[in-house]
Amino acid sequence: MLRAAVCGSADGRPRAPVAVCRAVVTVLHLAALAGYVAVAALLGGSLAGGRARAPGSIAMLTGAAVVLHAAALAVYTIHLGEPPLVGLAPSLSALGFLIGAVVLATTVFRESRTLGVVLTPVVAILLGTALALGLAPAGTPVAYRDAWLYVHVALSFVGYAGLTVAFAAGLVYLLQFRELKGKRFGRVFRFFPALDTLDVLGRRALAIGFPAFSLGLLIGFAWSARFQRPLSAADPKVVWGALIWLVFLAALGARAGGASRCRRGALVCVVGYAVVVFAYVVLRLAEAGGPFFL
Amino acid sequence: MAVGSPRMTREMPLAVVGLSHRSAPVEVRERFVFPAEEAAAVLAELTDTGVADGAVLLSTCNRTELYLELPGAGAGTFTFTRSGTGPGSGSEGGEDAHAHSRGHGSPPSPSPSPSPSPSPGPGQGRGGGRALDAVVRLFARRAGMPVEEAARYLYHRTGRAAAEHLFRVVTSLDSMILGEAQIQGQVRAAYESAAVAGPTLSRLFQAALAVGGRVRSETALGAGAASVPSAAVALARKIFGSLRGRRALVLGAGEMSELALSCLAAEGVRSVVVANRTEARARELAERVGGRAIAYDGLEAALPKIDIVMTATAAPGPVLTRPLLDRVFPGGPRHPLLIVDIALPRDVEPAVGQVENVFLYDVDDLRQIVDDSLERRRAEMPAAERIVDEAVDDFWRWYAARDVAPLIRKLRGRAEAVRRAEVEKALRRLPELAPEQREVVEALTRQLLAKVLHRPTVRLREAAGNGNGVAVVHAARYLFELDGPDGEGDTGAE
Repeated sequence: MLRAAVCGSADGRPRAPVAVCRAVVTVLHLAALAGYVAVAALLGGSLAGGRARAPGSIAMLTGAAVVLHAAALAVYTIHLGEPPLVGLAPSLSALGFLIGAVVLATTVFRESRTLGVVLTPVVAILLGTALALGLAPAGTPVAYRDAWLYVHVALSFVGYAGLTVAFAAGLVYLLQFRELKGKRFGRVFRFFPALDTLDVLGRRALAIGFPAFSLGLLIGFAWSARFQRPLSAADPKVVWGALIWLVFLAALGARAGGASRCRRGALVCVVGYAVVVFAYVVLRLAEAGGPFFL
Repeated sequence: MAVGSPRMTREMPLAVVGLSHRSAPVEVRERFVFPAEEAAAVLAELTDTGVADGAVLLSTCNRTELYLELPGAGAGTFTFTRSGTGPGSGSEGGEDAHAHSRGHGSPPSPSPSPSPSPSPGPGQGRGGGRALDAVVRLFARRAGMPVEEAARYLYHRTGRAAAEHLFRVVTSLDSMILGEAQIQGQVRAAYESAAVAGPTLSRLFQAALAVGGRVRSETALGAGAASVPSAAVALARKIFGSLRGRRALVLGAGEMSELALSCLAAEGVRSVVVANRTEARARELAERVGGRAIAYDGLEAALPKIDIVMTATAAPGPVLTRPLLDRVFPGGPRHPLLIVDIALPRDVEPAVGQVENVFLYDVDDLRQIVDDSLERRRAEMPAAERIVDEAVDDFWRWYAARDVAPLIRKLRGRAEAVRRAEVEKALRRLPELAPEQREVVEALTRQLLAKVLHRPTVRLREAAGNGNGVAVVHAARYLFELDGPDGEGDTGAE
């Protein structure tokens, strides 16, 4: 119904003016961005104010932002007849949506909802960048866009989202650990969840993210071998994919045993995530204009 | 505030008599406690003998209070004087911490006067004052002391002040530990166990429970830990999240250990091990809490399965040492180990805190959390007090509005009776009037009456809605002499 009324006809061919649909997508994205920024501001305000918990309105506000974001991506998909997984801007938005959904899930559990103070700014940055770049598909030629490409991208995004959540949980774990060991019972102590909660969250994020990312990589290799030239080890996306996979492996390995396994695991997640982001920026700059890389 | 004056509160049939940590030391307070099995009989005595139309007994470790719905109207006069400074003494309303036979029963005067008045006003009776005297005698009997001596520790409040007092109690603004959470449940239990509460008292308790919930959800008055055991629990929650299913070890079998155990049990700790130098004492405490007792030499074997250690022994030196921990956990425990040392001198070597995954806190650390929490709670007091003030106003408006409708009926009934009597008298003097002429006289007087009463009726209805209802109702009652039972207006024809 939405498809027919807004952007296309029942037979799937877009009818509504492209400018109108693009405006709808942009407005919905802006509204979602405003929601995420409001959530981040509320949580940041609570942390700065020394409150012991997140405001009660967080769940509703996050829910509204995620719903608006979902609507934006749905309009995008209906309008173009393909999911927002191709091209940098749509991909960033889709990744942001996944992380936003995780933030929404954490609000259900009262004790972990304050983690949004780290995750919502990440979502806002992803969404802001997507808006700044312009939400339009680009990169992979249309001929190659088949279901396997989408499965590869979607699984990879689940991996990125898992690593982001593990990073957020690890960062807060290290902060809370420092407060508890140092007997500083300040804002961080009051506001953030228990060590055990953060450890479990980080572990689950890795447990979901690693297999998804690994499978995504395998499908990506297969898809690439079928449609394109064989991948070179020097290909930036191969380098970046391998790096992320190694970070996952290191984070899981760090949790293998010993008294400091939780802290070590958290530390590897934080450092690994920073390396991944830094490597992305460097590789992206090195491959300026390249069409095949997120 | 005009509505809070003694004159204006006389008609709200509420009173509270009691004592708390503010008015009496613990050795006195414990003498006034009514055992749970006697509470029902005490309440029944008050209602069956007509001392009160309804009663609720609130009994906590820091207060014993009887809330009453007074028979008839108002608190009337009160005989017993309480010396010393009571909570909220000098406040307006029904507070009677100092005044002897406060003038709740005096007739209305243009400006509320705090001067005593020995006799009740029209329509009030001495029921309220008698009720309060009876309650003081009841308390004195319970405490086994002369009435005058018991009265020294008791405070009483009536009308609006009684409502405000309960709202402050239920929100913990009047508690020894500001923001404590138990009081709301205690007020609820007190209300639910009262067989007869009376309509106004019932409404008061329902409003109080709502206010308590509002303060808890809208302010951070209950945030943080405000006692040493609760600070230990707060620390444990920041490490383990939920304590449900965790295993605890308590070193020492004294009073503090028992307190620590009860806190842990309340949080759902799965199993408890009690270790003590004298194993028999450990066994005794373990049996009481459903735990397991061990001797000190069993410590090393027990520790690997433990998440939380609480130490409160009277040992002169450390019981848990770094070498012991290193032996039990080479390289540190795999799971976090929380050690809370509330003993003086300390039971745990400070070096134990340097072991990876061991979180060690002593009583000073806990005190730091408590002080911080209390400071933050105090900062929330103005917000909580604003909510209480609003709730008192709302309750007052409800009560005032309740009185307005019957009063208007009464006023109109009284006026109509006067009109009819006067018209009949006039028509007897004018027998020559034709029926049509008589009808004109009837219509004229009816219209006159309607016009005269229109404004007062509108104003009374307005007053019910804007919070001045009680003041205006009292003024109307006084001016039009409407103090008799509902529907009983005398004709006023002379």
